[in-house]
Amino acid sequence: MNTAGKRILMAKTGLDGHWRGPTVVAKALRDAGFEVIMIGMARPEEVMQASIDEDVDLVGLNIGGHVDVAVRAIGMVRESRPEVPIFVGGVVPPHAKRKLEGLGVEVYPPGSQLPDIVAAAIRLTGAA
Amino acid sequence: MSEQPVQNLSELFEQACAGDRGALARLISILERGGEAAAQVERALASRTARGYTVGITGAPGAGKSTLVNVLLGEALADAGRIALLAVDPSSPLSRGALLGDRVRMHSHAASSDVYIRSMASRGQLGGLAVATRSARRLLEACNWPLVIIETVGVGQVELDVASTTDTVVVVLNPGWGDEVQANKAGLMEVADIFVINKADKAGLQATRRDLEGALAAIPQEQRPTIVETVATEGRGATDLWAAIVAHRKRITASGELSMRRDEQRRAELRGVMEARLELALDKLFASDTVSEQLRAIGQGDVDIVSAGDTLLVELFDRQMPSRT
Amino acid sequence: MSTNNKQGGDWKSISGLPLKQFYSEHDIPQAYRERLRADPGEPPFHRGAHPTGYRTKAWRIFQLSGFGKPEDENERIRFLLEQGETGFIMEHDRNTGDHCYNVDHPDVVARREDVGLTGAVMQSVRDIDICMKDLPLETSYGHAGGAVVQHAPFALAGYWTVARQRGVDLARLPGTGQSDFFLTYLGCVTKQQVPTAAGLRFNADIMEFCNEHLPRWVPVSIAGYNGADTGLNAYQELGALFANAVEYLEEIKRRGTMPLEAAARACGGVNFRASMDLFEEASKMRAARLMWQQLLQQRYGITNPKVANLRIHCVTAGSRMTYQQPLNNIVRGTVMALAAALGGVQSLGVSGYDEALSIPSEHAHQMSVRIQQILQQETNIQAVTDPLGGSYYVETLTAELVERAWVFFEEIQEQGGFLATLDSGWLHERAAENQSEDFRQQESGEQVIIGVTDHKDDISPFEVDGFMGVDDAYDVALERLHDVRRTRYEAGAHRALKALESVCRSDQNIMPAMMESLEAEVTLGEIGDVYRSVFGDWATPIQT
Repeated sequence: MNTAGKRILMAKTGLDGHWRGPTVVAKALRDAGFEVIMIGMARPEEVMQASIDEDVDLVGLNIGGHVDVAVRAIGMVRESRPEVPIFVGGVVPPHAKRKLEGLGVEVYPPGSQLPDIVAAAIRLTGAA
Repeated sequence: MSEQPVQNLSELFEQACAGDRGALARLISILERGGEAAAQVERALASRTARGYTVGITGAPGAGKSTLVNVLLGEALADAGRIALLAVDPSSPLSRGALLGDRVRMHSHAASSDVYIRSMASRGQLGGLAVATRSARRLLEACNWPLVIIETVGVGQVELDVASTTDTVVVVLNPGWGDEVQANKAGLMEVADIFVINKADKAGLQATRRDLEGALAAIPQEQRPTIVETVATEGRGATDLWAAIVAHRKRITASGELSMRRDEQRRAELRGVMEARLELALDKLFASDTVSEQLRAIGQGDVDIVSAGDTLLVELFDRQMPSRT
Repeated sequence: MSTNNKQGGDWKSISGLPLKQFYSEHDIPQAYRERLRADPGEPPFHRGAHPTGYRTKAWRIFQLSGFGKPEDENERIRFLLEQGETGFIMEHDRNTGDHCYNVDHPDVVARREDVGLTGAVMQSVRDIDICMKDLPLETSYGHAGGAVVQHAPFALAGYWTVARQRGVDLARLPGTGQSDFFLTYLGCVTKQQVPTAAGLRFNADIMEFCNEHLPRWVPVSIAGYNGADTGLNAYQELGALFANAVEYLEEIKRRGTMPLEAAARACGGVNFRASMDLFEEASKMRAARLMWQQLLQQRYGITNPKVANLRIHCVTAGSRMTYQQPLNNIVRGTVMALAAALGGVQSLGVSGYDEALSIPSEHAHQMSVRIQQILQQETNIQAVTDPLGGSYYVETLTAELVERAWVFFEEIQEQGGFLATLDSGWLHERAAENQSEDFRQQESGEQVIIGVTDHKDDISPFEVDGFMGVDDAYDVALERLHDVRRTRYEAGAHRALKALESVCRSDQNIMPAMMESLEAEVTLGEIGDVYRSVFGDWATPIQT
């Protein structure tokens, strides 16, 4: 496993500021050797801009509201950085999970275990 | 890592100069990784005459630097036109990972085409941070970013060095930091061109200001650092800070001090590059059989440690250094 | 979720209190034993607020509710009242409300589909009027919304303005505000909000205003719930809540504008979380009443039983509701509600079984009411006050929680007080430590969550897919915003807003000017803009 120098962008798409989940995940990723760039609550265009400027290897979105907001952010990242994988966590009801998985992003709903999330980051960044 | 081939480096460089931020970002990643690809970028940079200006902002964790930079960006954009920010945070010494959270406090500029923000982790290696940050700065200047701000946590010598080899150095303090001012007197007084007392609405402002003025009294009036009071969360004092930066720039430009500083910076940069190269070469040497042999010889009492070191230095310069890392 | 003892180690409560195999009389700390002689309704009140308990006053069924357009929320509230809810909570949309943004703010536009997901969008007194249509303002007990400190003055003034326009005498209006620091300064931090000092001023202003004009209104309700659901354990929740109360009392004392006893009464209606450790949570409610009585007597010399008698609203832990196998959450809701009832709370809300998926569907809401009705009417739980009183175990737990909570309270004082621990991030660190420990325990198997860590396979004929509200909330809100701007008396609105701004810049009470502003149909976002220009933004210690 070589996570050194691999960069992950973490953003919250909603305006609801629950930080418990994203913080625990960010720390776990840091402890696995990733550089985690946090941008907090970000609009889709802000997520896109940060994914470009920070030259990240993976984008993690924490979603707390309507799935369409996340879909818009995913679309904008894909448009400018099609090669960058995206994974999503947060409150994702089954219908939203199906929609996101249909777009080719991995989804980690509440109750997901940290080792699984870290393993996904390692696999998606090619650090395995 | 540094060995992976990078295609079209010059093309990437042209794109970055033409304003492609994706290309710029990828080049900074290459500089961060170091090695041959980074050296290639440096060679491309050499011929570009840079006309930028650099401001360093440093201070202890929690001093409010990111919030201050956020309001400073708003203030400075009208004059500078475009601003690039390198926000440096320490890597975890254990995992070598990092949490880089400066952007959280800069959401007013998060999607601006006139602001480029890059979060950098110190990545632990001695000199590496300084080399990558200064290379990134040269790249940004070459790509016509007229103002580069480098924000570092002023906890370690390396971070302090990085911020202090800029054209104008801003040190951020908080009220109630009289003791810190005393303790860090030498380091801070040496590097600061401007002191900011942020969170100036908190208790202890006057005492901190007095301590600071006392410590600065020995410096001749015309060179004495300005003290600016700010409440970054309310945007208070940002105008004053930018004015102080502009005034400092004007003064050192007129007096010729700027060109002396640039010479000093180049000197520090050159030394930094060499230190980084030496360290890499040393790492490589220590992974080799030659070192193991010498260690064995020392252990058996066949050779003393100083002589073994000399032998290895010869080895280092004759065999290791000529080939690039 | 409880310590499972899989490793054969020691048994502990969820908060980490060591537990014995059984308890005997001598386990109860000596200093605590004389308190055992007090009856419910007597100081120090750990045994209950009133001797007759639920016999004379059942706990209030009080559910958080709201989504969509104001008329959607009104319909849901009336549904809940029909189902037997005995008070109502008027939730505002959090995207707009918590941030004091109108729907045309760029940060809201970028997330337009989220608008109305967490409450009705209410940008002016007209929206609040629609939401309050036909609600029994004088006979029921209303929560006006404004859970968040910076939003509370708007939400309260809106509710009161509508009530006044309907001919209700404010002096007779019952209900409650919240304006809680734990919510957006600790639990879910907003993108922009006023600094804590300005927030403290708002809350003291509301307390003063209610003291003068709304004697039956609970002006502020400190919500330890939001601290606990962020990670604070039971005794930390207690300690932090009372440290918060001390900030309010000290501010009023400094101002000298109202009797301290009235101020203590004003912040003596609080909100706790009930989680899954049944006996620890029941003990926590008992501990809370005891601590309030001690705090007022020892720190402020207040002994008036009407003031020293803490009133508790309790909400079951939303974070303990699982995404997996959501119908299991009906059982969890029941156990947590039972803990609250055994602890003698005055009012209770049960999280929806779909909490981890979405806002409550109508069915989930109904279940939350039914759980409470079944407990109240089928179990005989209301017959005897403080049914756990005298249990060696519960009395020992109560005493230990009190002791540890005061230690935590003192740690907060050493940090410079409750608000200082929010500004510095100290309290966030305490919460984060516990979160990390929770994750670690779940991975190691010490903590079991059925359906999540264990017994992950399940069959269910019911799909629960999350309730997503309505899809026209944003469009209608935008239309109504334009309509208000077009049809209000612009000069009056402008004047009121200017007056509000100059009051904000002075040290006068903001509430009269806020009432004028609502009356003049000033909108939420305009008020937020005034806050942002006068007070600036709180510098969050949170990185994500």
